[in-house]
Amino acid sequence: MEEFEAARRRPLPLRMRYAFIHTYKPVLDDAPFRAFDSMADYRRWCEANLPAWLGYGRV
Amino acid sequence: MGAFEYRQAEEVRTAFDAYGVRYLFIGKSGAILLGFPDTTQDADLFVENSAENGQALVRALKELGFDLTLEQESEVLRRKDFIQLKNGPFDLDLIFAPDGIERFEDAWQRRVTAEGFPVCHPDDIIASKRAANRVKDRESLPRLEAFRDYWKARQEKP
Repeated sequence: MEEFEAARRRPLPLRMRYAFIHTYKPVLDDAPFRAFDSMADYRRWCEANLPAWLGYGRV
Repeated sequence: MGAFEYRQAEEVRTAFDAYGVRYLFIGKSGAILLGFPDTTQDADLFVENSAENGQALVRALKELGFDLTLEQESEVLRRKDFIQLKNGPFDLDLIFAPDGIERFEDAWQRRVTAEGFPVCHPDDIIASKRAANRVKDRESLPRLEAFRDYWKARQEKP
């Protein structure tokens, strides 16, 4: 709760500066463009191609 | 490629408004716009699935500086369910059919505007993450739900 209150007091540009962080994600970041016919296709692709530790696999 | 910045969010809003693109920020990026203190990498946009909106979207993306080949442009115009763009000034995920949300129009009716940015209602963001059911969603859901409850309580205050 206190954390949410503190965030609320910060202006949006500052919140965004803290929130959006660019870190390299192997495989995922290695192509400039990908398109999937369905979300199910995308989920399957993630499970088949991305390292499990990225957390894109379904529970 | 740097991180997504407020200025770029403004550019998205300006370009999408100029071309009449119907969209909503969704996912953690949407929650962050509403005040959720967490981190993410990409901006996720839920885009209305109509031919007209697809055409407007292509025009807006080009104006923003996304370097779309003809083939890629065609994929956007076909409005594939999930499109990942890393060929522009920032990373963008375009989602035409997010898990857990039946219709764009329903989400649009429930939308929240945060400083001029159209954002999915926190209930829809949570529904989408719950339906996706990935490890990373499961990890973030309890905190996101706590934020949703906090956010709702604040909305109800006179």
